[in-house]
Amino acid sequence: MYHYDRKGPKRGIALYSYSAEFGISKNLEDCFEDMYDMGAHGLEILANTHIENYPYPTNEWVDKWFALLDKYEIVPVEYGHWIDSRVLGSRELTTEESYAMLARDIRLANRLGFTVMRTKMPVISGDLEPVKNWREIIKMALPLAEENNVRMCPEIHAPSNLDSKMVNDYVEFIEQTGTKYFGLNIDFGVFRNVFPPDEKRQKGFVGSKPEEIIPLLPYVYCCHAKFNNMNDDFEETTIPYKEVVDILKEHNWDGYMVSEYEGRDKYDPGYEVGQVLRKQHIMLKRYLGD
Amino acid sequence: MLEKEVIQSVGFRNIKENGEITGFQLKVRLPYYRGIFLSQLRPGTLQVDDMRFEREDLIWNINGRDHTYEDLKSDMESHWAVTDPAVIKVKLKGGLKQGFHDITLGFCFTSSYMPPIMQDAMDPDKENEIFMPEFGHHVNKRRLIIV
Repeated sequence: MYHYDRKGPKRGIALYSYSAEFGISKNLEDCFEDMYDMGAHGLEILANTHIENYPYPTNEWVDKWFALLDKYEIVPVEYGHWIDSRVLGSRELTTEESYAMLARDIRLANRLGFTVMRTKMPVISGDLEPVKNWREIIKMALPLAEENNVRMCPEIHAPSNLDSKMVNDYVEFIEQTGTKYFGLNIDFGVFRNVFPPDEKRQKGFVGSKPEEIIPLLPYVYCCHAKFNNMNDDFEETTIPYKEVVDILKEHNWDGYMVSEYEGRDKYDPGYEVGQVLRKQHIMLKRYLGD
Repeated sequence: MLEKEVIQSVGFRNIKENGEITGFQLKVRLPYYRGIFLSQLRPGTLQVDDMRFEREDLIWNINGRDHTYEDLKSDMESHWAVTDPAVIKVKLKGGLKQGFHDITLGFCFTSSYMPPIMQDAMDPDKENEIFMPEFGHHVNKRRLIIV
């Protein structure tokens, strides 16, 4: 398996970025080749999108998966998945049923070489508050996560920010259990401080200051390098990227920043998300000295 | 690879069984950024020209298996991938006649990470108030030819 030895913050790609093109004009290997062109070594997939025959891929597919990772020098970093506890229209899944769904993903993440999971909890409110029994579900899964060497990480995503009850609750859980197998994925959209006047801003959202990530860093196992607008000078105009990257460097945070583009324009005819990812990776290379 | 349109042009044909035309089929892709378990699917109605087929009249064939509207509701084990089209099969004696057909199909799907209030009001035969491209349209139309 390919190893990438660089220490500190590293560059990667969330294949979610290709959502308008995947399966239509690009397959998995096309996305990997695009990453190789950018020298981006860290990979995030969405299990339900990028694994053939999910949740039961064949051994042949898994062999092909590892061969492709080697060919394009890619490290499987983060496995995106959902605890879909409202998967049935008629009722919510029980804690045990939700755990069973999570356990299946933990085993599959490990089988595909991933060490971090972006664990999306079902939400119960417009503030993205997770289901009431999230602690029970996660607690039940901690031994299996340890056995499979994967860290389950809910993503902190706008309109949540770092100074929120949600983050406090997660941190409290981590500190109380002392676990290394549950942590956080920080989406850089939480640092957004520029909003074009014509864009609808999430009601009441105030971006976090970059330094607010510092006390959380011991619990952060992966970041989503969200970006909204890359200009042709290879700068992001809505998020204070240099400050964020400098903090990660100064604090020797060792992990991957996986690029995630969710701009609606990626669904426009002829749009190639790879080109805007390349712009962002020029920026990240410059800031990282990579 | 799939066509960008949700209703695929390939796969639209009459179904022949034992030498007789018993119905027709068409293929659709899932216009979402991730696959879904079948119980997340909310099938709507199919309109072909002036004929209306209720969701109970449609068979959804996914991964090579036929599913009725009732079957879909409780199947949280089978998964529909964004890369594999579903085949929708309809019983219709003699099938569709040669030439152009105007097809309108409604379907949508739930997501546990969306606030429940946004989920409860979803209607597969009506567009959401706010269009989100990564969830696609509920109602898709296409004009296709039967030979």
